[in-house]
Amino acid sequence: MTHKPVLRPLSAFIASAVIIGLPAVATANEPELSQTEVLTGLENPWDMAFLPDGTMFYTERCRGLSVRLPDGEVEHLLGMEGTDEYATTADDLVCEGQAGMNGVAIDPDFDENRTVYVYSASNMSEPRTNRVLRLTVNSEFNEVSDRTDIVEDIPYKPAATDHPFGDAGAHNGGRIRFSPEDGYLYVTTGDNHNSEIPQSPKLLGGKVLRIDRDGEAAEGNEPPEGFDPRIYTYGHRNVQGITFHPNTGQPIVTEHGPWHSDEINALVNGGNSGWDPKPNMAGRGDCPDDYCGYEPNQTEGMDPKERAAYMPVTDTETYPDAMKPAWGNDGLSQGMAPAEFLVGEQWGDWDGRLIVGFMGIGFGGTSVGQRINLIDIAEDGLSVNDVAEMPVPMGAARFRSLVLGPDGDLYTAVDEGSIYRITPE
Amino acid sequence: MKVSLFCAIATTLLMGSAPLQAADKSAGETLYADACAQCHGPNAQGMASFPSLSGRDAEYITSRLETYRAGEKVGSNSFLMIPNATDLSDDDIANLAAFITESGE
Repeated sequence: MTHKPVLRPLSAFIASAVIIGLPAVATANEPELSQTEVLTGLENPWDMAFLPDGTMFYTERCRGLSVRLPDGEVEHLLGMEGTDEYATTADDLVCEGQAGMNGVAIDPDFDENRTVYVYSASNMSEPRTNRVLRLTVNSEFNEVSDRTDIVEDIPYKPAATDHPFGDAGAHNGGRIRFSPEDGYLYVTTGDNHNSEIPQSPKLLGGKVLRIDRDGEAAEGNEPPEGFDPRIYTYGHRNVQGITFHPNTGQPIVTEHGPWHSDEINALVNGGNSGWDPKPNMAGRGDCPDDYCGYEPNQTEGMDPKERAAYMPVTDTETYPDAMKPAWGNDGLSQGMAPAEFLVGEQWGDWDGRLIVGFMGIGFGGTSVGQRINLIDIAEDGLSVNDVAEMPVPMGAARFRSLVLGPDGDLYTAVDEGSIYRITPE
Repeated sequence: MKVSLFCAIATTLLMGSAPLQAADKSAGETLYADACAQCHGPNAQGMASFPSLSGRDAEYITSRLETYRAGEKVGSNSFLMIPNATDLSDDDIANLAAFITESGE
């Protein structure tokens, strides 16, 4: 009896919701989120990778590779030029502009081979390049050894140019992930503000590479005739996010847009993503330093739709077979970077959602847009059914990395200098 | 002579310090959080492509903001700084300089 006054209004509300088509609140199963600051005081943390027991390898862009053990102890493993608190310092690993140490991945057979991989800029060769390093971790997790650079020739921007963010070291991509489906390492790269690179058959910038653990081309890569066999897809701008659909293994990447059109793309083996910022083609004339990537007006605001018509991220007129984006951030560029899937019942209705992080830019009338989006993406990755914002406890931040931990929680590294654990409850 | 010299120095010091004394650090903090922190970081430590402002003195901050406000390019991020600085008043710049200088200490 005492419950009736409560139950009647509730049942009446649900009935009303059904009748008028409102979301049925009573049936929604969206988790409440809490957060824990796992590490703070970091310098531009860039990526993380986990072992099943919670051991977390992480990179700081201008410092190097470290590992946080399950008891919270941190060991600094491989430092870059100018660091002094790492077990090993590699003076060829350099930090400049946007470049430095980026992605980290753990070998699927770590228990047997104790191998990890990192992506980093290096001055070992001239001009500088970005490289993928293979390292062996000792049993105490306090040293790495046996460095082997399995990819040595990813282009690096050697000098400043007349472009926004035009300093040397720009547009490196840098995310590395093993596919749980095929076991190969996927390496994302960037265009260096160099218009020749994205469509080049030989230069590895503006690409997604698919390689084995020795850096050799993966069996089954199908780039066009004459392309470097390590190339899985080409025609990219600056890919900083890659993940794999939990049901199909479909690789999905995020693409920074140039003042317009951040993109989510499902990769097709051998496919062209359609980025070609060369001057004097596709209706364009000359461009600053031969790169049209921010044209037609690279330093002042204008309608993103006009920009997209002039310098499309996916140029389907020039390249009709280009991979078309599943989603284009409503035509805006807000620094879309990391991508990950939420997996597990703990995520309720968000189980299976693609999440993407935005670092935020705020140029030319576009809102800064720092956030994590929850995206209901089709299994084939070709379309999205719904896009929502994740109500993260820390609020706005430059979300640089998103990784699902072995505990089923979400970990995010933010440029502000922290790594957070986000727990669904 | 000594008295006159002292007065001259004291006057110079007072004049030189007047803008800082008048600056409102609290207002600068609010403005910084709204307009600057998303790129330069909550503690002005710098992030990604955006430089650290820690350790910069008020004169440097003021000079740079006045330069950007005038629409003049300084560095590869001018395209972001010029529109951000366009509507700043002298007081806004003084307040920001006062806050940033202190936040970096």
